[in-house]
Amino acid sequence: MNVLRRWYVALALLGAVVLDGICAYRFQGVLFHGFGSAACWFTVVGIVLIGLCDDQNIDNVWLSLGIGIIADVFYLGFIGIYTVIFPLICYAAEKIARFLPEVFISRLFVALVAYLLVDIYVFLVSNAIGVIKASIIDLVKSFVPSLIVCLIIFLITYAFWVWLVEKYPFLDKRTPY
Amino acid sequence: MKKFFRNKKVLTIFVVIIAILSVLSITVRMRNRRDTPLFIQKMGNDTVTVITQIVNWPLNLVTGGASNVQSLLNTQEENDHLKKQIDDLGQTKARNNSLEAENDQLKSALKLKNSLTDYDIINGSVISRAPDTWSDLLIIDQGSRAGVKKNMAVMCDGGLIGRILEVSATSSKVELITSTDKSANRFSVEARSSKDKMVHGIISVNGDDQLTFTQVVDGRKLKKGTKVYTSGMGGRSPKGLLVGTVQKTTRDTYGLSDVIQIKPAGNLNDPSIVSVIRRKVED
Repeated sequence: MNVLRRWYVALALLGAVVLDGICAYRFQGVLFHGFGSAACWFTVVGIVLIGLCDDQNIDNVWLSLGIGIIADVFYLGFIGIYTVIFPLICYAAEKIARFLPEVFISRLFVALVAYLLVDIYVFLVSNAIGVIKASIIDLVKSFVPSLIVCLIIFLITYAFWVWLVEKYPFLDKRTPY
Repeated sequence: MKKFFRNKKVLTIFVVIIAILSVLSITVRMRNRRDTPLFIQKMGNDTVTVITQIVNWPLNLVTGGASNVQSLLNTQEENDHLKKQIDDLGQTKARNNSLEAENDQLKSALKLKNSLTDYDIINGSVISRAPDTWSDLLIIDQGSRAGVKKNMAVMCDGGLIGRILEVSATSSKVELITSTDKSANRFSVEARSSKDKMVHGIISVNGDDQLTFTQVVDGRKLKKGTKVYTSGMGGRSPKGLLVGTVQKTTRDTYGLSDVIQIKPAGNLNDPSIVSVIRRKVED
C-alpha cells in the first residue's frame, strides 16, 4: 500500500485525462456549439496545481510527460500536442511557485493563464500541421468560454488536488508513512 | 553561426524543437496512412477505453434513468403519432419485401454479386470526445473486433456524421464531417436535380464551418430541400447514405463551380448512439 500511495497523484491525473473526454462528450451540446467553443481540461488544472503545490519535485514534470503521451494517443492519435505542453506548464508552474504567495487567488490566476496558453498552443500547432483550419477569430471567441470552464473546474477540484499533493506527493522519497 | 553552435542552451532548445516537429509530422502521417495504429498505441487506446467505460457505467445509469422518466412523460404523444403511421408502415414493409426479393432475383439472373448499395450496420455508443476546442473527434466503443475498419462511414439519427479515423481492438476514433482537417478523406456525394439529372461532387467544410457540396458543375439545378446522398465512389462508404439537404447555392471565389450549402441530416451536436456502415463490396 505504501508503494501505491506514491502513485496516487499519477492515478488521479490518469483519472483526470479520462474525465476530460467524458465531460467533453456529456456536455458537448453546451461546450462545442454555443457562441464559442470551450475546452474541457481537468488535466491542465490538475497539472498546474501539482506544480504549484509540490514545486521541489522534478518527477512531476516526467509524470506530466507520460500523461501527455497518453492524452495524445487516446484523443488525437498522434504525439506532440499534450506531450509537449503538459510538462511545459508543469515546469513553469514549479518555477513560478517560488515567487507566488500560496493563496487560492494567485493559484487560480496561474491556472487561468495556463488554460489559455494550452488552448493557444493546441490551436497554433494543429493549424500548423494542417489537422484543423481555424481562424484567429475562432481562437479569440473560445477564450471566454474556456476561462469559464476552467474557473468551474478549478472551483470543483482545487481542494482535492491540494489535499492529494500535500498528503501523497508523487514518488515521495521521504520515509514511508 | 559559430556563436550559435557554442551556446549549449540555445542548441538544446533548437534540437528539442526539431525533435518535436519530427515526431509530430511522423505520427500525423502514420495516423493518416496506416490502416491500424502501432501495437503499443492500440494497447494504450484499449486500456484507456476500459477505464473510460468503467467511469461511464454509473453515469450511464443516472442519465439513463433520467431519460427513461423523460420518455415516460412523452409516451402518450408518441403513441398517437405512431398509431397514425402504423397503417402506412405495413404497406411499405410489404412493398419493400417484394422489391427486395425482386432485386435479389434480378441480381442472380444477371450473376451480380453485392453492389455499392449493400451494407451492414455495426451499432456503437460514443464513450468519449477529444476535450480540446478544435478537433472534432469522437471515441466509440466498437473496434476491429466488431469488424470496424478505417474510413468506414458513421451515421447518427439517420444521417451521415463522419468516418472512422483510427481503429483499435475495442474502440475507434470518429472524425466528424465538420472537421477542417486538410488531409481528411472527403465523401463523394450525389443529388438528383429538378430535371432528373444526377449531380456529383464532394463534401467539404467552408470558412464558416458550414457543410458544403463542392466541385459541382451545374449545382443551380438543385433546389432548396433536395436530398444529398453518398455516391459510393471511392473510400469505404456505400451508395445512398443521407448526408443532408440543400440550403443555398453560391459560386466559389473563382466563379468556376457552384458551392452548395448543406444542412446536415445527422445529429452532429450531440451524437450518442452511432452506426458504423460496413460496405459489402470490397475496395
